[in-house]
Amino acid sequence: MKQWLTLYKKELLEMVRNYKWIWVPLTFILIAVKEPMTLYYMPQIIDSLGGLPEGAVIELPVPSAGEALAASLSQYNTLGVLIIVLITMGVIAGERKSGVAGIILVKPVSYARFVTAKWAGVMLLIWFSYFCGYFLSWYYVGILFEFISFTDFIQSFFVYGIWLTFVLTITIFFNSFLQSPGAVGFITMGITILLSLVSSSLSHLLDWSPALLSVYTNTLIMGNGFPEELMPTILISLFMIILSLFASIAIFRKRELA
Amino acid sequence: MPVVSINGLKKRFQDQEVIKGLDFQLTEGKCVALLGANGAGKTTTLKMLSGLMKPDSGTIVFEGAEKGDFRSLIGYLPQYPVFYDWMTGREFLEYTGKLAGLSNKEAKGRAQELLELVGIADAKNRRIGKYSGGMKQRLGIAQAIIHRPKLVMLDEPVSALDPFGRREVLELMEKLKKETTILFSTHILNDAEEVCDEILFLHNGKLVEAGTMSQLKDKHQQAKIDLVFKENTSRYSEELSVLYPVTSIKINGEKASLFVEDVEGAKKLFLTEITSRNLPLIKFEISRTSLEDVFMKVVQK
Repeated sequence: MKQWLTLYKKELLEMVRNYKWIWVPLTFILIAVKEPMTLYYMPQIIDSLGGLPEGAVIELPVPSAGEALAASLSQYNTLGVLIIVLITMGVIAGERKSGVAGIILVKPVSYARFVTAKWAGVMLLIWFSYFCGYFLSWYYVGILFEFISFTDFIQSFFVYGIWLTFVLTITIFFNSFLQSPGAVGFITMGITILLSLVSSSLSHLLDWSPALLSVYTNTLIMGNGFPEELMPTILISLFMIILSLFASIAIFRKRELA
Repeated sequence: MPVVSINGLKKRFQDQEVIKGLDFQLTEGKCVALLGANGAGKTTTLKMLSGLMKPDSGTIVFEGAEKGDFRSLIGYLPQYPVFYDWMTGREFLEYTGKLAGLSNKEAKGRAQELLELVGIADAKNRRIGKYSGGMKQRLGIAQAIIHRPKLVMLDEPVSALDPFGRREVLELMEKLKKETTILFSTHILNDAEEVCDEILFLHNGKLVEAGTMSQLKDKHQQAKIDLVFKENTSRYSEELSVLYPVTSIKINGEKASLFVEDVEGAKKLFLTEITSRNLPLIKFEISRTSLEDVFMKVVQK
């Protein structure tokens, strides 16, 4: 445990030193808050851009509070996932590529602690940033539209967080055997996009796919309650997260490090 | 007592066999040089000994290793050490110390001690990214010995350094020798000769020669007489070599080396001949072949 803490503290310190604790939360906030703002101010934006020609009538339906918040999450589904992959793709692969892993792992460091400390480090950063962004988005939706109940907010926060955790863990998984951060990023993005596409087009077959967590979160936010597929999906996602983590450790232990 | 025994070590990369079966032991308290030309397999051997690479076959047995994990017994400095550039030297040493199982307090104390030993105490609070090559090398040595390992392995510790840096690192190794067993690789014979007790000669993935410095010298060194004349060095030397059974003669520019079995007899004869004919002698030197020659001889075999 002592060694794990040493490794974990190093991860957090590194993120302080390269300012990840500043720019990642800021980006997550920007991504999330932008949506309710643009939706709310859309008429004014169109006006300021020259307005509509005389006589043209376009009915802009006023979005509901739920739709505004869901819009934030759909941004996370693209930009948020991209940032997570970008941050995580080098955590192990990068250290191996640079050669510093050759110094660290010659010390009696447990491979399991090494991998999990890195995972936990990124987890804290992402969940913190995601909370900041999502909370502010919820707050602005409340101010501009109407407040969504706090329970719904918290529930959707955790459910969608599982999807983000899944993406993060998959990225760590590919880190355990690919040496190039670029390859890790590319493959993880590919898999994430593919999984989302396949799951949404074949949703009747794959209604327990982790990629559908975002869809179920929307249902939650809209105030439509807990979809019945949600619980199994959560369980399957958690299971896959744990499985990938164990697999990462097992593969990492077997790999030659230099 | 052997610190580590290596038996039948082999390693293959794709279709090329890089290490073709190594057997050797390292004795406690000795400083051993792993000598060889570029591509001889030195780095691969060290990487296998450090556990970073897995041998295809063969065993590496460390005295006192628990469950095959010998990492707490060894310290390793890679050929091109890389650190976390955003850490300071002190932080990095404390970090590696704690990873190796020292308590916070021990790690702090030991880091300070080593920073002073390797001579970078002034820069301890500077980011490693700002360190020079020599400072990084010394930091690398410090991290390798922070947990007082039984065996310290240094991969080309001085090859990339300027003459001053090299001097300092060699002196540092001289100090380390008193505390632990050292195995270091180099392609520079002088460095090996200077700090080492024993030599392992690696060529094309095989151990071609091994032993203590004096054993090697006795085995391979030949007495020779170097001659330099003002002119016609080669002609005079050849004329002289007829007088006495010379095993071989090597002419190297203005210098001729005559290899002989019995130096004393040859010396007497040559000098008499030179004085009686009044040859324009500039230099007459009796010496023995250097390790450099041994190196060349072994490699060309």
